[in-house]
Formats: sequence, C-alpha cells, structure tokens
Amino acid sequence: MQEKEIVKGTSLWKDAWKRLLKNKLAVFGMIVIAFMIVAVSIGPAIIKWTTGYTYDYIPSDSDLIRSFPPSLKHPMGTDDAGRDILARVLQGGRVSLMVGIISTLVSLVIGVSYGAIAGYLGGAIDNVMMRIVDIIYSIPYILIVIVLLSVFGGPNTPNFIKATANIFGGGQGLSQIFMLFFALGLVSWLTMARVVRGQILSLKNQDFVMAARATGVSTFGIIFKHLVPNALGPVIVYATLTIPSVMLSEAFLSFLGLGVQAPYASWGSMVADGIKNISIYPWQLIFPGVTMALTLFSLNFLGDGLRDALDPQTRKF
Amino acid sequence: MLYFIIRRLLIIIPTALLVVSVTWLLIRLAPGNFYTGEKKLPPAIEENIKKKYGLDKSMGEQYLMMIKNVLSGDFGDSLKYQGQSVNEIIRRHLPYSATIGILAYLLALIVGLTAGILAALKQNSLLDYTSMAIAMLGISIPNFVLGPILVIIFALGLYILPPARWGGISNLILPVVTLSAIYAAYIARLTRAGMLEILRSDFIRTARAKGLDEKTILLRHALRGGIIPVVSFTGPALAHLLAGTVVVEKIFAIPGLGNIFIQSVLNRDEPLILGIVAFLSILIMVFNLLVDISYGFLDPRIRYS
Amino acid sequence: MKREIFCGLVLALISCILTSCSSSTAGGRYWGKTEPPKENVLRYISGSEPESLDPQIPTGQPEARILMALYDGLVEYHPKTMAPIPAIAESWEISPDGTEFIFYLRKNAKFSNGDPITAKDFVYTFRRGLSPELAAQNAYLAYEIKYAQAYNSREAFVKDKDGNFLLKKDFFEDTKASKSESDKTSTFGPDTEFHRFINSPERLTVPLDEKTREAFFKKNPKIKEAVEGKELVPVRAEDIGVEAIDDYTLRLKLALPAPYFLDLLAHQFFRVVNQRVIEKFGKEWTKPENIVTSGAFKLAIHRPYDVIVVVKNPTYWDAENVSLDRIEFYPSEEQTTSMNLYKAGSVDAIYNHTVPASWIEEMRKFKDEYLDHPEVAIEYYTFNVTKPPMNDIRVRKAFALAVDRFALSKFRKTTKPLVDFTPEGIFPQYEAARKRVYEELLKEYKIPVEEWEKRYFNPAKACQLMREAGYQVRDKENGRCEVLNFPADEVSVTYNTSESNKAVAEFMQAQWKQNLGITVQLRNMEWKTFLPTRKALDYKGMARAGWVGDYMDPNTFLKLFYGPDNDSSTGWYDPKFDRMLDEANSETDPEKRFELLARAEFYMLQAQPVIPLQTQATNWIKKPYVKGLYPNPGTLHAWKFVYIERDPAKWDRDVDNIMKESDPIIEEKIARLMQTQIEFEKRKKAGA
Repeated sequence: MQEKEIVKGTSLWKDAWKRLLKNKLAVFGMIVIAFMIVAVSIGPAIIKWTTGYTYDYIPSDSDLIRSFPPSLKHPMGTDDAGRDILARVLQGGRVSLMVGIISTLVSLVIGVSYGAIAGYLGGAIDNVMMRIVDIIYSIPYILIVIVLLSVFGGPNTPNFIKATANIFGGGQGLSQIFMLFFALGLVSWLTMARVVRGQILSLKNQDFVMAARATGVSTFGIIFKHLVPNALGPVIVYATLTIPSVMLSEAFLSFLGLGVQAPYASWGSMVADGIKNISIYPWQLIFPGVTMALTLFSLNFLGDGLRDALDPQTRKF
Repeated sequence: MLYFIIRRLLIIIPTALLVVSVTWLLIRLAPGNFYTGEKKLPPAIEENIKKKYGLDKSMGEQYLMMIKNVLSGDFGDSLKYQGQSVNEIIRRHLPYSATIGILAYLLALIVGLTAGILAALKQNSLLDYTSMAIAMLGISIPNFVLGPILVIIFALGLYILPPARWGGISNLILPVVTLSAIYAAYIARLTRAGMLEILRSDFIRTARAKGLDEKTILLRHALRGGIIPVVSFTGPALAHLLAGTVVVEKIFAIPGLGNIFIQSVLNRDEPLILGIVAFLSILIMVFNLLVDISYGFLDPRIRYS
Repeated sequence: MKREIFCGLVLALISCILTSCSSSTAGGRYWGKTEPPKENVLRYISGSEPESLDPQIPTGQPEARILMALYDGLVEYHPKTMAPIPAIAESWEISPDGTEFIFYLRKNAKFSNGDPITAKDFVYTFRRGLSPELAAQNAYLAYEIKYAQAYNSREAFVKDKDGNFLLKKDFFEDTKASKSESDKTSTFGPDTEFHRFINSPERLTVPLDEKTREAFFKKNPKIKEAVEGKELVPVRAEDIGVEAIDDYTLRLKLALPAPYFLDLLAHQFFRVVNQRVIEKFGKEWTKPENIVTSGAFKLAIHRPYDVIVVVKNPTYWDAENVSLDRIEFYPSEEQTTSMNLYKAGSVDAIYNHTVPASWIEEMRKFKDEYLDHPEVAIEYYTFNVTKPPMNDIRVRKAFALAVDRFALSKFRKTTKPLVDFTPEGIFPQYEAARKRVYEELLKEYKIPVEEWEKRYFNPAKACQLMREAGYQVRDKENGRCEVLNFPADEVSVTYNTSESNKAVAEFMQAQWKQNLGITVQLRNMEWKTFLPTRKALDYKGMARAGWVGDYMDPNTFLKLFYGPDNDSSTGWYDPKFDRMLDEANSETDPEKRFELLARAEFYMLQAQPVIPLQTQATNWIKKPYVKGLYPNPGTLHAWKFVYIERDPAKWDRDVDNIMKESDPIIEEKIARLMQTQIEFEKRKKAGA
C-alpha cells in the first residue's frame, strides 16, 4: 500500500501540472505573478540604472517637489514629494508580495492543521482549541501590536528580550520585519482554522473516512491524507482571500509604527495615500491600485486553477 | 444537544474573564497612559490624577477591583470621556454599528449567495467568470477606496446621496454598500467553492441516481452542505460587523462602536476598552455557538458528543 | 461581449470621477455647493469628540472651541488678534508691580438657568479648577496665582510654636521667589483681612505626602532641619490668591509678575461654572438635561461622535448681539470626510489643519474660501543632547544648517520657514524687539551678518562644522559634502504617525542625504507610544515635536526650556537661560521685556537643542457667507461675533486680506464692548 502511494504520488503532481497548464486563466495568472516577482526583484535596479530614480529620491530642486502626471521620464507620474511612482510601486511590491505570501503560508500551515485537528478530534479538545481561537479573536489586535512594539523595540524593552534579540542577530530592521510577520501571522490563521474545522466536521463521518479508519490508518494520516485534501476547495479559496486582507492590514500596521517605515512604500500604503488625492492626482491611486489588483486577480486565478488541478474528486472523472 | 449548548454557554463567562484579564495586562504593558499628552504634566498634577482614579494602589488591588467591577457588569466610567459610563457608551453607539453591520451582511448574503450558487451551477461558464471577476474586484478594491469613490460619484458628482453623517435612509446606502462589498465577494467565492465540493460528492450522485429532481437536490442537499464554509466565516465576521468597522465609520462619520473601540485603545481608556472587549468576546462566542449549532442542521452528519 | 460591457462600465466610472472633479474646479467661483443655510445656523466641523463639556477638564483645541460657545469668562478673545476684550469683566486694572489684578464685573451677567454670575462664582471656579480632587490637567495654567501650585500639589505651610509661618525667602536665597517678593504692604484696592494675608511675604510650602516630602527634603536638607518638629498646615482652597471683594469685584494675586496672565484668562479653564449645579449633579452635571452654562450659547443636544448642538442663550448678558440662533458642531477628524461634507454644502466651515497638503494648490484657487494665515504654533525637531553624536553642538548645528527651510515650506505649501523658536508673524512687537537685539548680539558673539542671514540653509557651513567635529568629509558640488565616518546607526528621526509628519521626515531625510551624505533612519510610532519615548529621551538622535501656544506671548514657547526638568524633551538645561527668562518676566516695561526675552531665545538657540522647522498655518476653509470667523493665530473663534450674510454682494472676498479688512458690523460690536474698559481707564487717569 505504502509503495503504491509513492508511485501514484509522482504521477499525481505531474497530472496536476498538466491540468494546470490546460487552464488558460491559471496560466495567465502564473505568467503575471512570475513577471511581478521578476519585476520587483530587478526592476528598481534597472530604473536606477536607466533614469537614476529610486523609491526615496526627492529632487533637490524645490520646483520638482510636487506631483507630476505620467510622462516619459516618469511613466507612472510622481507623488507629492516628487518621487517616481514606478520606482515606488516596484519597491513596494517587494514588501507586499512578501507579506502576502508569508502570512498566507502561516495561515495555511497553522490554520489548516489547527482547524483539522480540532474538527477531527472533536469533544473537549475541539472545545478548548476553539475557545483559544475565540480568545485571540476577542483581544484587541491593535493593543497586541502596541505592546509587541513597545516590548520589542520601544523604550521599556526588558533586558531578557534584548538579549534574545541579540542571539538572533538583533538590529532594528530585523526585529521590525520579524515583528510584522509575527503580528500578521498571529491573526491571519484564525478564520482559516474555523473554516477548515467546519469542513472537517462535515467530512469526518463520511464513508471514506470510516474506511480509512477501518484499515488502520493513523489519526495523522486520516487528517492530512484524507480529510484535508477533500476540504481543499474552500481552503484554497480562503487562502487567496487572505492575501489581499493581509496586504491591507500591513498599511494599518504601519499606522501603529509596525509595517514598513518611511520612506519605504508598500502597495497598501500607496493605495491608502492615493485615494486621498484621487480627484486631483488620480495617477497616485491608479498605478499602484491597478498593479495590486492585477496581482491579486492573478493569484486568485492561479489559486482556482491549483484547486481544480489538485482536486481528488476531479481526478476520478 | 441541549447538554452541549448549556456547556458552551457556561464556558462563556470564564472565557470572557480570561479575555478581559489578558487585555487588562496588555493595557498595563502598553506605553503611555490615558492622560499622556503633548505637554508634560507637573508631577503634582499626575499624582492628583493617579489618586483620583485609584492608580496609586498596588497592581494586585487594581486588578481585583477591575474583576469585581466586570463581574458586577459595571465597567465604571470612561477615563477619556468624563462623566460617561462605559455601559452607557456601548448602549448608545451599538445601534449605529449594528444597523449598518446587519444591513451590510444581509446585502452581502443576498448578493454573495446568489452569485456563488449560480457560478457553481454553471461552472466555467461566462456567468461563472463574470461573477467571480466581480467578486475578485470586490476583494481587490479595499473599502477605504470603494467608499470615497462612491462618495465622489453619488454625493459630490451627482448630488443624489449625502456624503457622510448619520441621518435618514439615504445616509445608510453608501456605507452599507461599501461595507457589504467585501463580504459579498467572500461569500460568493466561499459558496462557489463549497457548492462545487458538495455537487461532486457521493451523496449528491446518489441523490441524482435516485432520480430526485435537480431543484430538490440543489436546495435540500447541495446548498445545505455547500454553505458550511460561509457559515464558518459568518460567526466571527458578523460579531465584528455588529461591533462596528472603523474604516467605514470614519469615512462616513458614523458614531459607531468600531471607531470608538479603536480610539479607546489609542487613548488607553482602560474601562472602555475592557467593556467593549468583554462585549465583543461574548458576542463572538455566542455567534460561534450558533454557527456550531447550525452545522448540525445544515449537515445531519455533523454530530456533537 | 460581457467583458466589453464591463470595461465600458469601468471606463464610465473613471471618467465620472475625473469629471466630477474637473467640473468643480473649472465650474465656478466657489468650491462645491454654496448656499447659506435657511436658518441662522452655523454648521462647523470641530475635530475630535470632546472629552468633556466641563470647561476645566479638557486640554484640546477642539474642545476649546465648543467650550467657548458654552462658557464666558472675565475676558474674551478678540476675534482677530486674540487679545483680551471685556466679557463678564466690564473693566479691570493691574497693580503697578504687575502682581495684582482687580476685575469689575458687569451686573447683568447670568447663567443659563437665570442665576446671576458674581465674583463668588469666579472664586469658586478658580478654586475648583485647582483642587487636587478634580485633578485637572490644565491646573498648571493657574499656577501663577499665589499659593495655587501649593494647593493643587497638596502642600502645606509650616507653622512654628509661636504661630509664625516659615517664609520662602529664608530658604531660597537666589531664586526668583525671594527676588520679586515685596515686603511692603499693597494698597491696591480695598484693604481686607485676606488682602493682608495674601500680600504678606510668601510662606514656605512643603509636600504633605510623606514620600514626596522626603524626596523634597533630600534635595533641600536645610529645609528638613527647619521643618522638623513644626506643625504642617495644609494649604486650603481659601488660601489661594483669589478674592471676591464684593459681589461684582474680583481681585487676583499672583506670586510673581506675569505680564501675560491677562491673555491667559480667556482660556476655557478660567471660564465661569455654576457651583449649585455641579454640587447637585456631581459628575453628571454636563449631561444635556443637567448642564448650566454661562456663555452666549447653551447646550441643546449632545450625541457623542455625531453632533453637539448649542442654541442661543436668552439669559446671556449680551444676547441681543449674538447673531447665530444655533451652532452645530460635528466631531470628525477625517480630512477627506470633512472636505466632502463641505463640498456637498452640508457644513459651512471646518476647523484648522483640515485641508490635506496635496490639495492646497487646488484649494488656493478658491480665494474666497481658503484661509492660510500664520498660527501660534511651530514644528521642530528635538535633539537628544544626552547621547552621542548629538551631544556635540557642532553636529547639531550642522544638521540644522543642512536643511533647506525654504524648500521645506514650499513643499508643505502652507507653512513659513522658521529658524527661531517663536513663530513668525504672530508677535509683531516681539519680532521688532528681537531684530534690534539680534544686531547687538551678532557683534557680541562675533557672528558675521552674511552667515547669520544664511541660517535658513547653509550646507557649506554644515560641512565645515562636521569637519570641525572630527569627521572625515569629502566635498561635493554646491557646497555639499559627504561625511564618511558618521555613526548613522546612532541617529534616527522618531515621529508620531501622521501623514504630514511622515512627509516632513522623508523630506528631512532626503536633505541630509543630499547635503551631508548621511542617511538617517525614520521611525514612526503611535501617539501614546511616541510621547513617553520622547519624554524619557529614549530616542536616538532626533524626534519630531510641535508646540501650540497657550496664550499670546512668546513666553509660552520659551518656557519649554525652563527649569532642570523642562518640557523640551531634549535633555538640554542651562541655569543661565532660566535666569534670563526670570529677569525678562519681572520686567514691567513691555518693550524691554521683549528685548530680554529675545536675548534668552538667542542664547538658547546658540546651543541648538532643537531644529526649528516651520511656523504652522491655520489652513482651513469656510463658506464666503460665514462672516466674523477669522483665521486668528489659535483658530479660536468668539462665536458671538459670527453671523451668516445672505446678500452675496457682501460675502467675503479674497480672504487672504480678511485680517486687514474691517467688517463694520463686527468692529462696531467690539468697539462697544471695549467702551467700558476705555472709559474706566479715562476715569482713572482723570482721578490720578
């Protein structure tokens, strides 16, 4: 049995890949994402090399410190401080993509296993696990972040925290990014856990689970080999929904002093800044907004394609 | 089942107390105080304030006093808004956010369920793509962008709706639409995914084989199982909606609880924070209990021991 | 095909957004809907929700504006200059030594419930505001009053066995306490027992609380010895220097001359409240059903976070000259929301700093609506002078000189460049005095005039200073340079989250990068995290700060650096500066006093504990039909002068000149109010 599965496993991924390539939208999504990743990785360097602009370059000529519409020099225009929006969009993409992907991974790993375990085991364990989720959900997030910031970076940093930070390399920048991911990861998995648990509850009494249990598959095996793959649809959909929400949470966190520090940008913060000026300098919203929306669309198409490709049910057809 | 419900209800109070205690600790750990201001207070004035609010007592005493207050259901007076009790503030502002929240969620349910079901039934059709694309648009356009754009079009361009503030029904339209967009999109996508999952499952095939007509299959069987992800999502989402959402309240200058909650944290207004947190945690737990109960109705295979 | 429809829809939406804006800018003289409201009502966006409607509690400006409508004080702010004009006090006189004030109250002043307002009510108000039980944060404003600080700080007099009190002058030899203490008996106003007490030499006060007292004794061991075994008599409310000579005569006694004290009395903290109502309802007294007020308006509706409606108070002594029937205050802090409400014609005016910086160029086109005048507020960066590298004065000066203030104010659009610590264009007499003094001082300090004039931006000098401070400097074009071995990790700019603070910080960062080749890190924090960080000097390098004057005198700015425990958040302290400030404030001749203050300011700035950046601008909008709402330095409006003009021919035009033009209706009202004081002074002169 064990051997068989391994053999089947390799072909499963190949099959899935083939199915994915047949899905035009998914392929489109993949291309866009790949392009975005390449663009944000090498784009800023190219722009600096060709035009000399960087995300934080404020012209020294005070006449140029203002928002200009798109032109050949600045294909996306400039922001209020006269900075090149294209350079900022590319630089901001690094932050936003990283934030989106990492917190979604956290949400997938923690949320799915947590929800699946609670749902499958049920009873008192489920009750305790879900009450923990409720508690984290109820404590004001913003308060947690404020305390996190003050404990890890603020004036009253306890010595033992400082010492721990030094073990991991210390430094302001590192702890800032680390805290951002921690803060985003802290909440991004909660609803995922609830969604997965709901699915598992409805799946766990179905015949195929009974069958697996009868054949002596371990609890772990049942949860992660049988139940989770069958709940994959909502999981992937919810994961693709998490990405935009964390990208926007990042903008909120920067209000509290977490997130990226000026003059760095992120898509979320650029959109939030841009909306205020929409009727005067629309390009401040449109370019970062469209870039972000395009990326989210593509991620979503890709997610849907993946779901279809990996779906154990479709395989049967 | 009854035993299950009673057990879950009983656990609410200690859990809420735990939430309140952790929050209290966090407030005490957070830098700044409710009276921290731009101007440095003379030490004597700071002493006066501490004495007035019992902050000169030991931490243990203060904690016990807080727990005693919470247990009696009286959270005391707000520190920032003098002379107003926390209970009064919650009672006064809850209706605003609840009205907007419930209306928005209803709208989201109607739009999202319809779109999701239709998309699932006609998978990979143009209808499916269009409705999912619109749903994605709803998710990709954050509400802090959607709100102002709606205002610019309907309030400042066409002058047919008021731009902000609480008032008549016309004041409700823009905030409700703004707030519901993202929820409608979530619901549409979750419904579609859940329905697809169910439509392919064995028991629907059995039902079809039995010769039941499509309508019965759809409504009696598929829909009930298919909306489980939506129901899971609804519990916490609805609790948060009732308690208010900052962005929409700010854009439309609505005196809801969400904005007050955020402000209370930024102001370090301890009694107000604790009061709203306690209220919110109870709300979340009650809604999640309702969700768990409804699982049983939606899918008879789900049983609680 | 569906996709085409969808695309078409999106296009239509976008074009609608764009046209709705362009039509409004090109469309007319005014921005958005401009029709006077049908009733005599002003709809005003007032900023954050007020903390309380008790005038002695809140500290913020948004509250101040609402409380000014509800309560009246001894004096009121002049709507343009904010100088004190008669209100409940018809007239007043100041003793020759500047420490005593007598106010003659008008006899027809009434609370909104009909109770007469007498001198006793003011005595109650002042005592209440200072009582430690109320714990008012603003109590420090009244600390100039004799024994006020001692009472508010729960202190006690010290009585020996013979019943004599220990005197302050015996313990504080060389400080201000002994210097200005006049032992001669005052003959200012009628002689009363209280007057003799309050004019006797200032008694020593020590903290009543044992722990605090021990700490106090540790600093002053001499006092400990003297106090031991003697009786401590708590300072009571009755001991502070406030006296009702009769029902309509109020006398104040200050511990020291404070020439600015009269300006301070229009502050809401000193506006009169009703004792009976406060004692009857306790903390519930500000509820709409209980509240009794003393101002031109009374409270009708208070729906927190939604609206505060005040209506004309018929019992107000000057009710016939109150033009508005009603004011609706909308608490909203969202700039865009406020601007939208304004554009839709739902509000008539908005509080200050509400026009987003990036909109200003657009809004300036609406000359009849956009108000941009200097404000009694400044923005500056503090240095943490206790930590390297900013403990080196040359480094501090270099950082200050490497920022182009003109470019900054051009970028921020509403502000004026600032290199001194007091705001530009607010205190004209002071500025004149300062100019005179600076000429002398430049010679004294041997500073070349050319260099002095370039203090707004002088990168070459900045580079030279960095070199002198021992850093390796590589010169570049235009006087700029690159400092090679500067510990940039030890310097950052900490600021509290706000769009405008962020923009300024980014600009500053770019300036230092371009002119000194130093990249400092930026760090933003939420307000209440930021404040303790800055106060405790837990920041590296620099922190953002702003200061709004409490009253219309440069002292409110310079006092920030006064005392070893001062509020400058820089760690800078110099006793010489304290002495200079003391000397200035005990000077009774205003011109001379200003010159002395200017010297103190110059002395402080030579040490560069801060980088002054800009004088803030009021930056708000009002509809042209709202008259009498002036962009005064505090944007504090005396609402009784405000009226709605229905005749478009008489609407405000080109409001840049609004402060210079005179509105006959308002001028007449002010002149009539000033009459009593002018006549009083005439009579006094004739009598003398």
